[in-house]
Amino acid sequence: MMNKTTNWILWVVLLLILVLYPRLFGFYFTNIFVVFAIYALYAITFNILLGYTGLLSFGHAMFFGTGGYATAIALERIQGLPLFPAILIGLLAAIVLALILCPLLVRVSGVAFAMLTLAFGQLMHILAMKLRWLTGGEDGVGGFPIPPFNIPGIVSIDIANPTNFYYFAMAVLGVSIWIIWFITKTPFGSIQTGIRDNAVRVDYLGFKVRHTKAIVFIISSGFAGISGSIYALFQNLISADDAFHVGNSFAPIIMTLVGGMGSFFGPIIGSGILSIIDELATRYTERVDLVTGLILILVIMFAPTGFAGFLSFIKENLFRRASDKTAMEKTL
Amino acid sequence: MDPTTALYVSQGIHGLAYGMVLFLVASGLTLIFGMMSILNIAHASFFMLGAYFCFQVLSMTGNFWVSLLVAPIAVGFLGALCERFLLRKVHAYGHVGELLLTVGVGMVILESVKIFWGTESLPITVPPILQGLLKIGGLEYPIYRLFIIGLAFVILGVMALFLYKTRLGMIVRGAVSDADMVNALGINVPVVFMLVFGVGTWLAGVAGVAVSPIMTVYPGLSDQVGMDAFVVLVTAGFGSLKGAFIVSIIFGLLNAYGVQFVSQLAPVLMFSFMAIVLAFKPMGLFGEIE
Repeated sequence: MMNKTTNWILWVVLLLILVLYPRLFGFYFTNIFVVFAIYALYAITFNILLGYTGLLSFGHAMFFGTGGYATAIALERIQGLPLFPAILIGLLAAIVLALILCPLLVRVSGVAFAMLTLAFGQLMHILAMKLRWLTGGEDGVGGFPIPPFNIPGIVSIDIANPTNFYYFAMAVLGVSIWIIWFITKTPFGSIQTGIRDNAVRVDYLGFKVRHTKAIVFIISSGFAGISGSIYALFQNLISADDAFHVGNSFAPIIMTLVGGMGSFFGPIIGSGILSIIDELATRYTERVDLVTGLILILVIMFAPTGFAGFLSFIKENLFRRASDKTAMEKTL
Repeated sequence: MDPTTALYVSQGIHGLAYGMVLFLVASGLTLIFGMMSILNIAHASFFMLGAYFCFQVLSMTGNFWVSLLVAPIAVGFLGALCERFLLRKVHAYGHVGELLLTVGVGMVILESVKIFWGTESLPITVPPILQGLLKIGGLEYPIYRLFIIGLAFVILGVMALFLYKTRLGMIVRGAVSDADMVNALGINVPVVFMLVFGVGTWLAGVAGVAVSPIMTVYPGLSDQVGMDAFVVLVTAGFGSLKGAFIVSIIFGLLNAYGVQFVSQLAPVLMFSFMAIVLAFKPMGLFGEIE
């Protein structure tokens, strides 16, 4: 009982911090927080592939980028398109891309899956550069109108204002993260982890491994599309080097690893840690990627379970009797 | 000889030269993958490092041949160090860890290159003996491309001799098919791994030096050639040297003629080829069924 109450209090405090954040920290840090939240969702969609299903994708940026481009192009071309249909277009575009690719991708796993996603990600990058009439080439799509958040007859909020955008983004991203979290708790989520641990056995138990992989892939891609779409709205610009670049595919991998891929909230922590590092590193050096690369190497070498694993290691070892050696051996 | 044929032939030579370079990079990748099941994402970065080392040695000694010798060895040495002190430590955590470690190494190399040599492209001149055109039977061949093709064939020959005629080559082939068994026979497999990793990155270094006069040496080089090499690997099937050779040549030619006929779509050609191959054979053209 006590535990449940503490949990509720924690959630309320977290919510309060989220609501008051723009007033407490001001304009600059609010924008940083929005980017952090976008990447948190993006990293979570990546983690349901890697951490939950055991599929390492090296081209996740293609869905992020497709979502972003679809929303941006739709808002640019269609006059007076409302906000939610624009995001929906981003979601659908990412899902369509996933549907096209998944017949090919679900047949392979491991390194072949990684290489295929990498190759298709690069292909999308090239296409975004070459199809100038649609994507604007290197310049990307920018300066499109951002429609207000509008519920007819009730409310109309201008989200071009950073504070309003913050609340809007938090709502969309929060709901998305909650839906993904909910999915991982369903029986379907258990099949997912089953595939990660022993695909052959799941197959013998009568579950369709390839179908499940395809569905997971589509869900993950769709939400990555949403994160890209929010990103495009936030920047009012989406460009090939920003969205489709291979570095953008590696970003969620690093976040997931730093945070801990075994845990659902690991990627969020990882995204937070990396935004902080990014923010600090840009003040001292131009070569931010050097710092992230070194961190990646260090994490893999010395903390392969990431920050979440580190936390549970401390929990197991400090809050139990020292003589309880089995727990320690297990974590090691 | 009419000009159209001459154009076809010269594009063919360009394609063949690029194909051989791709093969040098892809063969190193294949060796490392076949042996250790590690896909070395940093391979392309080692390749680029070869080109930069070539520039460095060239600016210090002024002799292209010295840099052709020294730069790849330096790259191979770095590769072996990277295996010994980084990859070996994470071997216990499985392949995903190793894969991601190479991603980190690739990032560090790329950024270090930017720090040491800057982001602008560097000029590298070919020694006079390799410049110009060779005239045979009314056709003109660029000498440097022929040199690359020759160089690659020499290395290919030496590698084949090494793999199939020496004792060490036998051990390597044995370790490719079953590393545990070779280890149990009393052979120090970790040292063999380090050696193979060193040789693999050395091959990438040779390729890097070889292309440095004909491609721009800038930090984007690794992305450009590395992606092609990975596509070669996926299309050919992992761990197949023969497949890597054939597919490299196909891609080299596809690239050269693609640029000539459908210049807008040239980069897409390779990926489409790969997609078609994988739609029918998910393990690649020459890959073994898992």
